[in-house]
Amino acid sequence: MSKSGVSGYAAISARVRAMYSSLLSPQDFARLSDAPDFPTLITQLKHTAYGPYLENLKDRELTPQKLDLAIKGRLADSYHSVIQMAPEHARPLLKQLYRYFEVQNLKAVLRGIVTDPSWERVRDVLFPMGSMTVLPAQAMLEAGSVGAAIELLQGTMYYETLSFAMKRYSSEQNLFPLEVALDLYYWRQLWHEAKRLQGQDREQALRLIGSLMDVNNLMWVIRYRVYHQLSEEEVINYTLPFGYRVRDEDVRAIAAGADLVTVVERVFPGIPNVDTLLEEPRHGLPQLEILLKRHIMNQCLAAFTGNPFHIGVPLAFLILSDLEIQDLTVLIEAKSSQMSAEEYLPYLLRSVAA
Amino acid sequence: MFFPKEMTEIELIVPSKDLLAVTKVLSGYGVFHQTDSSYPGVASGSANTWQEQAALYATLERRIQLVMQALGVDEGQPPSSDFEAMVEVEKIRPLVEQLEEEVKKISDELTDQRKRLEQLESTLHQLEPVEDIDLDISSLRDSRYMFSVLGLIPSANVDRLQTSLARVPHVFLILRSDPGKPVVWLAGTKANADVLERAARSAYLDPLSLPSDYQGTPANIITSIRNTIESTQSRIEELKATLARLADERRQQLRDLLWQAHTSRVLADAIVRFGQLRHTYVITGWVPADDLEELNRRLKQASREILIETLPTSRSGQNQNVPVALTNNRFLRPFQMLVNTYARPRYGEIDPTILIAFTFPILFGAMFGDIGQGLVLALLGWLMSSGRILKSMSSLGGLIAICGVSATLFGFLYGSIFGFEGHLVEEYLGFKLEPLWISPIHEILPILIVAIDAGIILLTLGFLLSIFNLWRSRDWPHLVFGHNGIVGFVLYWSLLGLLGSSLGESPISPKLAVAAGSSLPSVVFTGLAIISGVAIMFSEVFRNLMEGHRPLIEGGIGTYAIQAPMELFETVISFLSNTLSYVRVGAFAVAHGGLSLAIFSLAGTQPDLGFWITILIGNIFIVGFEGLIVGIQTMRLHYYEFLGKFFTGGGMRFEPLALTPAKEEG
Repeated sequence: MSKSGVSGYAAISARVRAMYSSLLSPQDFARLSDAPDFPTLITQLKHTAYGPYLENLKDRELTPQKLDLAIKGRLADSYHSVIQMAPEHARPLLKQLYRYFEVQNLKAVLRGIVTDPSWERVRDVLFPMGSMTVLPAQAMLEAGSVGAAIELLQGTMYYETLSFAMKRYSSEQNLFPLEVALDLYYWRQLWHEAKRLQGQDREQALRLIGSLMDVNNLMWVIRYRVYHQLSEEEVINYTLPFGYRVRDEDVRAIAAGADLVTVVERVFPGIPNVDTLLEEPRHGLPQLEILLKRHIMNQCLAAFTGNPFHIGVPLAFLILSDLEIQDLTVLIEAKSSQMSAEEYLPYLLRSVAA
Repeated sequence: MFFPKEMTEIELIVPSKDLLAVTKVLSGYGVFHQTDSSYPGVASGSANTWQEQAALYATLERRIQLVMQALGVDEGQPPSSDFEAMVEVEKIRPLVEQLEEEVKKISDELTDQRKRLEQLESTLHQLEPVEDIDLDISSLRDSRYMFSVLGLIPSANVDRLQTSLARVPHVFLILRSDPGKPVVWLAGTKANADVLERAARSAYLDPLSLPSDYQGTPANIITSIRNTIESTQSRIEELKATLARLADERRQQLRDLLWQAHTSRVLADAIVRFGQLRHTYVITGWVPADDLEELNRRLKQASREILIETLPTSRSGQNQNVPVALTNNRFLRPFQMLVNTYARPRYGEIDPTILIAFTFPILFGAMFGDIGQGLVLALLGWLMSSGRILKSMSSLGGLIAICGVSATLFGFLYGSIFGFEGHLVEEYLGFKLEPLWISPIHEILPILIVAIDAGIILLTLGFLLSIFNLWRSRDWPHLVFGHNGIVGFVLYWSLLGLLGSSLGESPISPKLAVAAGSSLPSVVFTGLAIISGVAIMFSEVFRNLMEGHRPLIEGGIGTYAIQAPMELFETVISFLSNTLSYVRVGAFAVAHGGLSLAIFSLAGTQPDLGFWITILIGNIFIVGFEGLIVGIQTMRLHYYEFLGKFFTGGGMRFEPLALTPAKEEG
């Protein structure tokens, strides 16, 4: 029996709220940011909810990459726990959201095959998905070629998409078409799962998932135009026609050469200084992306007010957990390369009191 | 039972000559949780060699698995314990290579033929919609004025492709609306060929690729392709028969090889994590104390010169690195699942499973007390746990069965059977049933007060367990000044005492609060409440003082002056909400009776067929819907109010070395 509302979400809502309280507090984050160096950051992290994930690693083994991978274990556990407790009808969406990391792993394996097919190196960049992955990552890497690796995915949801894109890889010898095809497939499926929900679940899912898609879609379309200088028809084919605020007209307008500032300001009227940021898009784009992610963060926080018996609460928690890891990754990189606070603070999604 | 299994840390010094025998004992017995002993100070001289060995075995294992997969041979049963645990790579590699060679040639040809067949079928599939066109296909390909492309496209990309060409004159036809891969034809002027070609490519339109030897009209080509498909299919059948024959001949040999490579890989993986001295190896890990004696005996049998040092691990203090093996029996397993969903206990921390095994059914039964519905739940649970129905939910079956039994017992206490209570039992069922204790629907206030008293008992238990856990982990600052430590406990009971003395013996007074209030003068409770309240308010400062942590106040005095009273306010509010949360136990007991009454008013008073059908449907609804809600509420009370008080969790799973997969899971 499919349960929704109070009966379906009572348990998960309670559990997620308990997990939500273990996210890093502003004080925790300020302490981490104040850490003078990388070893101190590790020590500070061990006193947070990430501590158990660092216990089995010896300090001498804790390179920035290993630390980053270890803290992602917590995100993986959060996903497992939330998916396990979610009502039946909500699981497909949560599972699809989790597949984001599987898609990233798949891309990492394909890149590994092309650049450096050493399992030890590739393993260290794979998100620890545990049993919830269909990728035979090591076997794919050892298959020796992109084509043979994709053949190992037969029977998985990625095979058809990749086998279409494989024709282009064979002629162009470039992973770009494979990666774009995977991204488009992933986001289309996610949107599809969100739209299958009903009532408040659907409304919340479309708002949160749609906002994530907006940021991705907008960044893709700007990057395709600015960095890759793709033609109008290519930009349209490599982007999505749906989202929460970004509409197909906006995508088509940018693809056709419309002024970026006008479109972005129209879609996100609350984002400040868009004109300054996009004056030199190559420099301003990362900052724009951070501003948009902060916007997502605020939307997620809003999901925790009001009626808690809908999918918005677990979704928001998972997205917030991911954004927290992104911030920690910035801190890890910053502390390991001894950057000053002025240098890295603009790249954090949270504001840290100086 | 109250704690995870007692563990002993073990350190072994093993002469190089006995390395394999000892490793085999450690892996074969399945009680040794290995830790990495290649720490600084212990050279890991041949670690690289073993690492290479492990990689070689892993590669061999995968190669054998691939051969078995190609032949459709399964892994079979794990071998008996007296098999050769580690074989030399060179001893099995030639055999693997020989088998690979035998299989690869046939298997590769089979793959090629299958691909060819797939390609032919795909080409056929694309050509069938245009079969009637009386036109040489090559004339489309070699057209001078028209660009055209015929092919397959992912269905999700069709709309996008059309959108992308909105400003370019073109013709786009879907020749076959296959849900996954529609066949489409895109055409336009040669002048726009670049744009059309880019759009088609970026929409992943896969052009029909006809080999140049296919000439003529689509109908001619289709006939030719169908003939080729037929011959390819018969070749595939021949190859499959050859592989099946080979599988029968080589089945046992492949299974033996697989297990040899697997166990060798497991042993080599274990050895990689040993530390090596000049002539000896250092092995460290954890063993359940109960299995230590037998392990020692086996180790000494394997190596006379082995040195074994054991360090019993106290359950006190910080033991975050000790693996946790739980001891619960079959009866407790459903409750273990509930606890593990929350978190795995840490070593030294109380495993709350046994407590939950009592409190969970009691709270559930108290909310769902009914003899008949309880028995139905118990029966359903038993059928589920024995795998007769809903096999995939068998682990939940035990829990439902026990909750059903508890609901039945509470049904006797409440005098309720299938919703019939009091005179209704005698009137409709023909026998007498009086409540042994209380009828919730008739005594609403007393049952709510009892529920609050039950909450006070459980929360007090939670406080005491928290204090016990903090004492064992030597976390003195939190033991004294934590919200769930001594001052928190004193504040809670002082507030209860004050409440009890101010309310007196009124119908809305929780009995425990009244008892506390009358045991001491209220001035004592006032004094204790002020002292413990201040301690809670400034708990951060006191904790920092005890820990020697500086600065004492983070974020400045101003912020702290606002934060400290809020801390006390939040603590008091949480005490209040935690306690009142248990009112729901009584409220659901009342609601249960109320729901039954609602069903009776729908059923009417005449005991005709309609009456009994309504009662039946009503009971099904109560068992399904209310049972579910009560289950969720019981879980919520445990996760939110009870476990959160004293249980931290986050323990490391005990994962002993094991040669066979079955043991690895254990």
